[in-house]
Amino acid sequence: MTGQLTGSRRRPGTALAFSEERHQQAHEFLVDEAYLLDTQDYETWLALLTDDIRYLMPVRVTTARSAGFDTAPGMAHFDEDKYSLGLRVARFATEHAWTEDPPSRLRHYVTNVRCFATSNADELVVESAVLLFRSRGDVRESALVSAGREDLLRRDPRGTAESAGHWMLARRTIAVDESVLRMQNLAIFL
Amino acid sequence: MTDLDRLLADVRRGMIPAHVYNDDELFRLERDRVFGRSWMFVAHESEVPHPGDYVVRRVLDDSFIVARDEGGTVRAMFNMCLHRGMQVCRAELGNASHFRCPYHGWTYRNDGRLTGLPFHREAYGGEDGFRRHEQTLLPAPALDSYRGMIFINLDPNAPPLRDYLGDFAFYLDFYTNQSSAGIELVGPQRWRVKANWKIGAENFAGDSYHTPQTHTSVVEIGLFREPKAAKRKEGALYWAQRGGGTTYKLPPGTFEERLRYVGYPDEMIERMRGSWSSAQQRVIGENGFMISAASLFPNLSFVHNWPKVANGSDSDTVLPFISIRQWQPISADETEVLSWFAVDAAAPAEFKKLSYKAYLMCFGSTGMFEQDDVENWVSITSTAAGSMARRLLLNNRMGLLHDDKPVTPPLAHWVGPGTAYVGYGEYNQRAMLALWADCLAQPVAEAARTELGAP
Repeated sequence: MTGQLTGSRRRPGTALAFSEERHQQAHEFLVDEAYLLDTQDYETWLALLTDDIRYLMPVRVTTARSAGFDTAPGMAHFDEDKYSLGLRVARFATEHAWTEDPPSRLRHYVTNVRCFATSNADELVVESAVLLFRSRGDVRESALVSAGREDLLRRDPRGTAESAGHWMLARRTIAVDESVLRMQNLAIFL
Repeated sequence: MTDLDRLLADVRRGMIPAHVYNDDELFRLERDRVFGRSWMFVAHESEVPHPGDYVVRRVLDDSFIVARDEGGTVRAMFNMCLHRGMQVCRAELGNASHFRCPYHGWTYRNDGRLTGLPFHREAYGGEDGFRRHEQTLLPAPALDSYRGMIFINLDPNAPPLRDYLGDFAFYLDFYTNQSSAGIELVGPQRWRVKANWKIGAENFAGDSYHTPQTHTSVVEIGLFREPKAAKRKEGALYWAQRGGGTTYKLPPGTFEERLRYVGYPDEMIERMRGSWSSAQQRVIGENGFMISAASLFPNLSFVHNWPKVANGSDSDTVLPFISIRQWQPISADETEVLSWFAVDAAAPAEFKKLSYKAYLMCFGSTGMFEQDDVENWVSITSTAAGSMARRLLLNNRMGLLHDDKPVTPPLAHWVGPGTAYVGYGEYNQRAMLALWADCLAQPVAEAARTELGAP
């Protein structure tokens, strides 16, 4: 039994030039999204996810270079669809999600954005790097999570999504850079 | 040591000096006296199914390679080259016929035998200078397994695992023996929390009292129908020698009906009939309780819950999952959680898929139950470090009157071994800490040493 190798999916061609409108829209999407995640405006964030969203964060493992995989076979931190993400968001909206009350101070740093066209003009593959800084309480040590992300953005066919170019997130695979997380929980999104 | 004697006496009468949850001195004692003599879970056989499969697991600071050799035997070998002490395996898992030390190239087969020693003749004069023959990586002092769960013990004179487990094995079977195929483990997710290891172990052992408060939010969103306060206190708390746990009271019905109620398909129930003893079946069918969280002393916990996992039209469809987790101590104020998803190997593929989903939503690094637990435990640990915590004795006597009589008598008709009580109580947390006190009171004997290469 072996897991997958992260970052190995073949890119569809070369990256779009940074001057291309689609690249700029995708970049804008990620920056706006980071703002929503920093401020924990999860209802608005959820509206930017397609109904068939797949949100996956495999468990990374240390393996020999020759092993050919670097994720835990069959295990993820997040393996979500719209229903389960919706429940997570609904939970934060209750008055009893203690882990985020008082709330963390969050900052998602998003960088290294590259876009790739696909055979479908209304879909883009977007890579990015994200560094999340999380601070809880006054004196507790802060925590960081670093990850690479590979997203599939899809244009909202209704043309109503409130994002640059009406892009929505249809798939996200998060390649976290630690095997053992140094964060008390993942009551956050990346 | 009078301070320690007083502390242990306090703990035994159900009063916990609060600093036990963050005390470097006690942690050093725990390392030797608790973890130096207890059976420690390292892996399940399903994690190393084929010859050459290995995982690397720790018991506190000691790294062990748990590998299945070419003949199918599973061993746990201290992950340190016999020559200069380098880790011979630096991956977490994989498949290998040999482990070669990157430092000087000493090579070991996956059964631990030293097979390659570069320039043995020129550098050592062959066997005359360094006896290579029959040298192996240092084996774990003791290794034993139960239902595919592999444990090691740093004390070579430890009692057999089955004796150690005692009557708790009866309850372990509910998690690990739902069919003759046994369970398979997936994972673990690993993450570090700034909390003392004992808090999680105690919580899973018997804290049904926290569920309605800590986990209010998961009831509010309709993920889980059970933790409502009125419902939770109807559950039984049982303790059986080396471990104990919590249960939920099920609605009236037969063994089959009650397992269906928590979401098991008929084919799995049929196999449970074949795997569980009559007494095990009667805990469900006759007593009407379903196992939930549990802990095996010192730091292995289990959980079995049945949340709603799909957004289907049938709003009451639930699906059960099992998680096994280890509270691996890092220091007095830090614990690494290793959390596995476990499922009956014979379960239908669709069941496995949904059960995994149920696990992810409830427990583990992203679990909606677990998130709120850890927040509490981190807070306890940080507050326990100061001088005021040395002045405060926390009351761990729930369920006992001042004269030590129980608030409610034990369940007279409980079918399982050990003692069970219905309602809230800290019976199991006391039992857990009593075992802890027994360990701390008893120094460990000096371990035998191994000298390498000698004739």
